Amino acid sequence: MPSLVSNSMLQKMFIPLLLLAFLLPITASAATPSQDVALAPDVPSPGSELWRAVRRADTNQPPTGVTQIKGVERGILINSAGEDWRNFRMEMLVPTGGLGFGLVVAALVLFYLIRGRIRIDGGWSGKVVPRFSINHRVAHWSLAILFLYLGLTGLIMLFGRFALLPVMGPEAFSVLATISLVSHNWLGPLFPFALIGVVALFMKGNGYTFKDIGWFLKGGGMFGGHAPPSDFYNAGEKTWFWLAIFGGIVITISGYILDFPIFGQTREVMEVAHIAHAVSAVGLLIASFGHIYIGTAGMEGSIQSMTKGYVDENWAKEHHSIWYDEMKASGKVYSDVESLKKSN
Amino acid sequence: MANMKFYCDAERCIECNACVTACKNENDVPWGVNRRRVVTIKDGEPGERSLSVACMHCSDAPCAAVCPVNCFYTTEDGVVLHDKDTCIGCGYCSYACPFGAPQFPKVGAFASRGKMDKCTFCAGGPAEDGSAAEHTKYGSNRLSEGKLPLCAEMCSTKALLAGDADVVSDIYRKRVVNRGASVMEWGVNYERASLDANKKS
Repeated sequence: MPSLVSNSMLQKMFIPLLLLAFLLPITASAATPSQDVALAPDVPSPGSELWRAVRRADTNQPPTGVTQIKGVERGILINSAGEDWRNFRMEMLVPTGGLGFGLVVAALVLFYLIRGRIRIDGGWSGKVVPRFSINHRVAHWSLAILFLYLGLTGLIMLFGRFALLPVMGPEAFSVLATISLVSHNWLGPLFPFALIGVVALFMKGNGYTFKDIGWFLKGGGMFGGHAPPSDFYNAGEKTWFWLAIFGGIVITISGYILDFPIFGQTREVMEVAHIAHAVSAVGLLIASFGHIYIGTAGMEGSIQSMTKGYVDENWAKEHHSIWYDEMKASGKVYSDVESLKKSN
Repeated sequence: MANMKFYCDAERCIECNACVTACKNENDVPWGVNRRRVVTIKDGEPGERSLSVACMHCSDAPCAAVCPVNCFYTTEDGVVLHDKDTCIGCGYCSYACPFGAPQFPKVGAFASRGKMDKCTFCAGGPAEDGSAAEHTKYGSNRLSEGKLPLCAEMCSTKALLAGDADVVSDIYRKRVVNRGASVMEWGVNYERASLDANKKS
């Protein structure tokens, strides 16, 4: 019997027909999803909630994405902490720091004009008392010179754009800033070693005692009147010592974090380290103005304790009488410099 | 003048990284630096989105605000560029930038920093337009030739748009209208569409 469909036609159509038989049910179910299969939740356009989270509007940490680029924090789309840091540095640190420096300079100038140089009341006696050994002096000046140089280069980087750039122009200021940054980064790691030297040698005698309260109550004798008798270090000197130590420790740790950004520090770590470093450094520098003033222009007979290593007898009697009495009792008051040098 | 901006359409980006490769090649970017990168949010989950990000050329650029030597400048077209000769490599711009655009080739001491490098919107730098010195330091200057950045030109799906902000937003607006952007229309509420919606608690 002849059929409408020939054998060869059937053979050619067999595989397509087989595929159709399998595909038809699949396409049918796709066109009309059954109620049992739940649609996977998607983020419909515009995806406001998703992008709000990415912008870190509601959470503390930005969601980490995936990226093909290797590197620290490359998967983070938005670093919101950067704007907080920018605002702190530009709106708080720079103006307040500048104001602080201006105020301390003004206060010291005013103090000098009103109080004048604190003289040795009894005048120079010519007799000398040894105060700081050569080791003390080397340790102090190493730290002092390092501190001042690092402070100066740091201030160039903090304030230079506002104070020096308009005066020097971009090319010259860039050279100065490069020299400042490079020398600051190379000399900075040496700072803790100088600090340890000073801590070790100057620790003895710098512990606070109850007598120091009396010194503070009298304003150290700086505003008229006399402070109660002091030992080797008076309360003001002790305060500077501890400020320098703790400030120095913060500066050292934060400085090392900043100076070697090759250990995977995130931007937030660097920003916090920068703030700690800058605030401690600016604070210490402002306080150091007082220390430098009182050791040089502020008091007669003080600077030579750290340059020559000895002080005048009357200076010791007036400012550190407890220590003076001990030195006199142990025969360490010399009639002149030659006999002091001969005894060593 | 034009106000040049980038816009990456997250609905179209397929994470092909053609923009990354095009930029790196065209600008002879230093080793270790990738001016442009593609970040994928919710990778592998429903609602995965990718975004291509380089420098956003901010109108109030945080990088420019914190630079200690003021080496940044904004061109008439709104492109934020910087001067590599003035740059001291301190890294403050990379702390302040929300998008991680400023990068460093690690050629300084102890493999730290070097001169900062970032996306220039293919507009070169302060050196003379089209000079060899400009190309070595900053990459190609397509804008001076009247062209747009190569990343956007190379984008396979035209997800990454670059150009005048008005033109770019007009293109995107048309796309949004065509897509019918309405959460109510899709029948999905906002909570289900959030970042953590698919996480098993």
